[in-house]
Amino acid sequence: MAEPETDDETARRLASLSLPAQLIIAVATAIAAVAAAIHLGMAFLNVAPSNTLTKQHGEAIDDYVYPEFERNWKLFAPNPLQQNIAVQARAEIRTADGGTATTGWRNLSAEDGAAIRHNLLPSHTQQNELRRAWEFYVSSHDEQDRSVGERGPLFEQYIRRIVMLRFGREEGGGTVERIQVRSATTALPAPPWSDEKIGTKTVYRLLPWWPVTGDDLPEAKSR
Amino acid sequence: MTAPATPSNASEPEPESGAAPPPASERPSTGPGGRARLGDRLHSAVARGHARVSGSALGPYQTAIVRIGFSFTWLLFLLREWPHRRELYGPDSPMSWDMANRLLDTNRAFSALIWTDSTLWFEIVYTLGIVSSVLLLLGWRTRTMSVLFMLGVLSLQNRSVFIGDGGDNLIHLMATYLALTRCGQVWSLDARRAARRKEPSRDTTGIVLWAVLGLVLLWAQLFTDARLALTADGPLPGIGWGTVLWGLWIVQAGWWLVGRYAPGEPRTVLDVLANLAHNGTLLVIMGEVCLLYATAGWYKIQGSRWQDGTALYYPLHLDYFAPWPGLADLMASNGTLVMVLTYGTVIMQVAFPFTLLNRRAKNVMLVLLMLEHLGIAIMLGLPFFSLAALAADAVFLPTAFLLWTGARATGVRSRVVARVRRLRGPRAPERDEEPRARTLIG
Repeated sequence: MAEPETDDETARRLASLSLPAQLIIAVATAIAAVAAAIHLGMAFLNVAPSNTLTKQHGEAIDDYVYPEFERNWKLFAPNPLQQNIAVQARAEIRTADGGTATTGWRNLSAEDGAAIRHNLLPSHTQQNELRRAWEFYVSSHDEQDRSVGERGPLFEQYIRRIVMLRFGREEGGGTVERIQVRSATTALPAPPWSDEKIGTKTVYRLLPWWPVTGDDLPEAKSR
Repeated sequence: MTAPATPSNASEPEPESGAAPPPASERPSTGPGGRARLGDRLHSAVARGHARVSGSALGPYQTAIVRIGFSFTWLLFLLREWPHRRELYGPDSPMSWDMANRLLDTNRAFSALIWTDSTLWFEIVYTLGIVSSVLLLLGWRTRTMSVLFMLGVLSLQNRSVFIGDGGDNLIHLMATYLALTRCGQVWSLDARRAARRKEPSRDTTGIVLWAVLGLVLLWAQLFTDARLALTADGPLPGIGWGTVLWGLWIVQAGWWLVGRYAPGEPRTVLDVLANLAHNGTLLVIMGEVCLLYATAGWYKIQGSRWQDGTALYYPLHLDYFAPWPGLADLMASNGTLVMVLTYGTVIMQVAFPFTLLNRRAKNVMLVLLMLEHLGIAIMLGLPFFSLAALAADAVFLPTAFLLWTGARATGVRSRVVARVRRLRGPRAPERDEEPRARTLIG
């Protein structure tokens, strides 16, 4: 690399270019500056709380930001999660002798937790898959498990397929016909030095039984 | 930056003054009065600023370390997830190919994985993701690899968007930005090749690479369901992926042609355009990092747990973020320590963008933030998120430090190489590379 030129030298060099070249450079400078300003402005509005501008121009901002420039980090703000949410599932199975039986609850989140323990590099399949899926399910359904918004059915199927991925077609010695999912939410106790009282009784949210179809099985295994 | 006491004779390359004005020294004296002098100084500052952003791609070491950091993070992630790749983004995913296809049909995000549902194609894309990460890390054909790296990141992440976290999000953004920067100016095989080459070569490898990629793009355009439109379904409103990818492909050819057949003014103009894109994007990268910390801080201030000084206690006890429960218990057992770290986190995040105004304060803050990310990597079991954050932070590292680290790394390498040579037996020693000229940025 040659000795870097000073700004004055650069300015002289650029000024000696032909008029069209200077025009191109000038226009490009303006475009680059405006584009960077717009991009950062949109980025700011994307992460800012709802405000005058986002209310007036929400659609334009969304058009710009989605799908490739979304910022969906929460970073433990405004408050970190203060409860352990475990997703558990059980199955209604058809046994070899033709009868039906219901398996016990299997704590899928506890299995994830065990896989993460003493693991320097936890996999997304252990740390994100079920945990995030449950967040998406809760945010797209009301208390009565009715879908709100367009993506409700998608997240329902997503959860079902995660459960079936972990169960497999066969679970507890029979073929899975229906599954039921529940969440077990346990608040973390207040820190030992705090005099705050936080109830740590586990609260359950029970979802309806879902019949399992071929669509709920991983593609590679069903083919 | 201080304006000089005497006006420089820099001419103004602004659009409104088509012909270059006479040098300031020849201009009639504006007589007494500060206004004229202020005008001159402003004029000269603008000219210098313009010269700086168009004359060079700023922060060569910073962009190189960001390139290395993100390609390394994504590479490590892809290798670590190799056993799980089919469950994450492939045929075993709980997000089935049909579901992904339907979702992408509504949100119009880019993923080469929905061009076809073939498992072989998935394996090819995943492998290409690894290969492009390695080559971007090494800086081989950096321009091309940065685009392939971006396409790899987008293809995998958008295929199973619900499995990602904040770290993936950051990689997603930075991968798109890197494609617009000249991030291979230093610490790259490209830079080494450029330094060794005396006269411009024909560059057969480049031509082959360009032709192959053109054919792949043509195949995707004609024979798959890829949505490579010109104005729709692209990364930005009004700009389709067809425009982006074919545009980059044509630019690449133009760059080669101009370099070979028009090395004079056209070459200079292209160089300036690339610098402008680089510098604009570098600004965006830095702004994005500031925004990340600033908003994280601002939102935390509103949280009751960050206010009462116990926030850090809670994530340390979440089952999904507890790889080392004993260590977490030890750390969370001291209320004062938790309080200091909780408040410290918020103060750092809120203050970070403002510390950029002072180099020393910025560097202290950078060290603290990086230490915190190391802590998060281990304590919360978020190594890839932390690596991505560290790579993003690195854009603010001072040049002197980067040069020092680079020299150390080169020293270690040459010692290793020397030892290997000695083991292999005598051979003509290769001359060490000259240390590069130091830039004034950072």
